[in-house]
Amino acid sequence: MEVDMIFKIAAIGIIVAILNVLLVRSGREEQALLTTIAGLIVALMMIITQIGDLFTSIKNIFGL
Amino acid sequence: MSIVSICAVAIVTIVLVITLRRHNQELSILISIGAAVIILLCVIEYVLTCIDSVTTILADANISAENIMILIKVIGICFLTEFTCDCTKEAGLHSLSSNISLAGKVIVLVTAMPLFTNILNVVKSLSTGDTSA
Repeated sequence: MEVDMIFKIAAIGIIVAILNVLLVRSGREEQALLTTIAGLIVALMMIITQIGDLFTSIKNIFGL
Repeated sequence: MSIVSICAVAIVTIVLVITLRRHNQELSILISIGAAVIILLCVIEYVLTCIDSVTTILADANISAENIMILIKVIGICFLTEFTCDCTKEAGLHSLSSNISLAGKVIVLVTAMPLFTNILNVVKSLSTGDTSA
């Protein structure tokens, strides 16, 4: 079911948070920032399709 | 999807969002928006049957199809605007949220304008009928 997507995004968030802490502790702030941005983009790409799905179904149902 | 599963998804989402909020706020907002989208996607198929029955009831009451179409369009615009408004408010952008709400109101007004002109035409014809009689 599509509910898996929530868990996937939460897993991405936890992994990115851990990587962020590790990279900041080892003094690589730039790579930590890049990791955060990469995780954000991956999650955004996952969610964009769902939002588009919702908007197209609203458009079809209500005849907008 | 039953109401029990929707509530379960909501509670799991609350826990995940609160866990992630301290470390990764961008992704926690994405999780809450994703949960809202999933819940609405599960519910929206019921709206279709509801709209069908409302359309048949209103058609039996001799209300023209154009007016029913306008009504359903306005409901859809309100639905979409409310969803976007709440998502924006949750992300902390209150001014953008009120702008979206204002835009929704303007578009609802523009969409419902034919109904107002119909009512005004009826009033005009009644008043002219009164003066002529």
